[in-house]
Amino acid sequence: MLKYSLKRLASSVLTLCIIIVVVFVLLRQMPIEGYFDNYEKLDEFQIQVKLTQLGLNDPVLVQLKNFFVKLLHGDLGTSSRYSAGTPIATIIANKAPVSIYMGVWSMAISLIMGIPLGAAMARSKSGFWDKFGTAFIVFINAVPSAVYYIFIQTYGTEALGISMLFERENWVTWILPVFSLSLGSTASYAMWLRRYMVDEMNKDYVRLARAKGVSNKKIMMKHVFRNAFVPMIQYIPASLLYTICGSIYVESLYSVPGMGGLLVDVISRQDNPMVQALVVIYSGIGIVGLLLGDILMGVIDPRISFVKKEGAR
Amino acid sequence: MERAPILQVKDLDVKFNLRGRQLHAIRGVSLNLYKGESLAIVGESGSGKSVFVKTFMGLLDSNGWVDNGHILYNGEDLVSYTTERQWLQVRGREIAMVLQDPMTSLNPLKTIGAQIIEAIELHQDLHGEKARQEMLSILTDVGITEPERRAKQYPHEFSGGMRQRVVIAIAVACRPQILICDEPTTALDVTIQAQILKLIRNLKEKYELTTIYITHDLGVVANVADRIAVMYAGDIVEIGLCEEVFYDPKHPYTWALLSSLPQLGVKGEPLYSIHGTPPNLFYEVKGDAFAPRNPQALKIDFEKRPPYFEVSLTHKARTWLLDPRAPKIDPPEAVRKLATEGVKGYE
Repeated sequence: MLKYSLKRLASSVLTLCIIIVVVFVLLRQMPIEGYFDNYEKLDEFQIQVKLTQLGLNDPVLVQLKNFFVKLLHGDLGTSSRYSAGTPIATIIANKAPVSIYMGVWSMAISLIMGIPLGAAMARSKSGFWDKFGTAFIVFINAVPSAVYYIFIQTYGTEALGISMLFERENWVTWILPVFSLSLGSTASYAMWLRRYMVDEMNKDYVRLARAKGVSNKKIMMKHVFRNAFVPMIQYIPASLLYTICGSIYVESLYSVPGMGGLLVDVISRQDNPMVQALVVIYSGIGIVGLLLGDILMGVIDPRISFVKKEGAR
Repeated sequence: MERAPILQVKDLDVKFNLRGRQLHAIRGVSLNLYKGESLAIVGESGSGKSVFVKTFMGLLDSNGWVDNGHILYNGEDLVSYTTERQWLQVRGREIAMVLQDPMTSLNPLKTIGAQIIEAIELHQDLHGEKARQEMLSILTDVGITEPERRAKQYPHEFSGGMRQRVVIAIAVACRPQILICDEPTTALDVTIQAQILKLIRNLKEKYELTTIYITHDLGVVANVADRIAVMYAGDIVEIGLCEEVFYDPKHPYTWALLSSLPQLGVKGEPLYSIHGTPPNLFYEVKGDAFAPRNPQALKIDFEKRPPYFEVSLTHKARTWLLDPRAPKIDPPEAVRKLATEGVKGYE
């Protein structure tokens, strides 16, 4: 188990390094015009001075080495254009908490709504809840989220009489963005749970449990639900960590000062240090999320063994 | 037979609703199950043998129902049971079941110990340490060595035969009166089959069980059964003591079934097989259900359903051949050979 985890950790670090190198090298291929506000007005000398200042005239390998050395010291660098001169860590520290809180809340809510919905759908297969849930899932997946986000904002603020804009200290203004964010994952939790539960319900061990006299309710709780939840657990760490990325739509609709859209923003402004830092963070999160998910699965599902089998069945 | 029946089935009809059409799966079956006996129900796939026993436990799929008839057990008519609460008094506690495929009949995420304890807690009113001790003793009973260690393992750590032992342990842990084994050895390889059958026989003695075997393997039947009921197209066409059905079969379907035993085949000749397919139970069957596949069928076989004719006190068959007016038709050669030479080759 420990050995497996360490091995996975090592390969994760390697993956992360490869991603960083690729992004780093690609960013160096960008036209240099992007680094200047007033490129046309500058002469060659001024341009070279600025580029040297930014460290862009060093060989790529040297730049890469400098970046990694700084990274290992915990320094993500400073923003060059997005908010020139500010340490990137500060920018993220300011923006991330809102996104994380909002994401965690919305995830909690989608679990609270999605899991019972999925379970109810599986239990009442082709009954009311199943039809209701299917309609909901189809709606959420078929209609572009921007559409219902706007509906929720327009009618929600009107009905509840709350402000359209987000204020960090006013919890009422959290309701609509958090709710909007939770809808998508509510639908997918419900869909997957239903699917896994229906799969489990048709298995022989459920028939055997019935034959030995376990009540339907207990079968659902102790056998079906539990077993159906296991494959879903794998994705929970990743979704939890991904909340840091925020949501472009929702955050811009309610003017939430979060991380949503930050990456797109800094790419379009060619703020290389920021792009690199965010790539490190986002891909790191993705990799760690998957890793945690796999380890969690291994802890929960006894069929997954981390030791090589010696030909035994 | 003097013994009192433990379970009586009377004129049972079971129907299924399949895409708006009705399938008549069990067509007026009556059966007495006697305490302590071992009954085998044989028949080909789709003959309704599994469905028949499922009705004893209220385990029919949701699209099936008992249309008519009674199942009397302990003075109660199980057909009248409607609520889950009523059935929970029967399932496991009175009648337990061993399913066909041990590879899938255990919950993969629970230790086998926990799965056996679940049954013990439900039916024996033992809890905690006592339940655990009972579980260990049952594991020993079903021939699992090192029960302490094995109980903590998960199903995937067991081989097929061992898993079937665990499934049997679960059934026994319910302390049932009747044990239904639904093709208990079909999914196992031949060397294990005999062991499992022997195990069930031993447990039957030890726990004084009445057993019902469902199988299409006549070799299994010869080994374990006191009585045999032959099912065809949702009906018991012949029932009798094991020797009676094997050595003096009366129904043409039983003849055909026995003739297709590989043990009776002659080396170098193709094995006998029954031509045609069983009747479509979406339509009402007219006459003897086997008539269309029976080359020697009588005219009346196509017109009127035969009643049971008693061959002896314990042996009866639903075939017009037993009517005094019927022409004399001899059973096929293989069956006659069986009567004189006996079954060999099993166990």
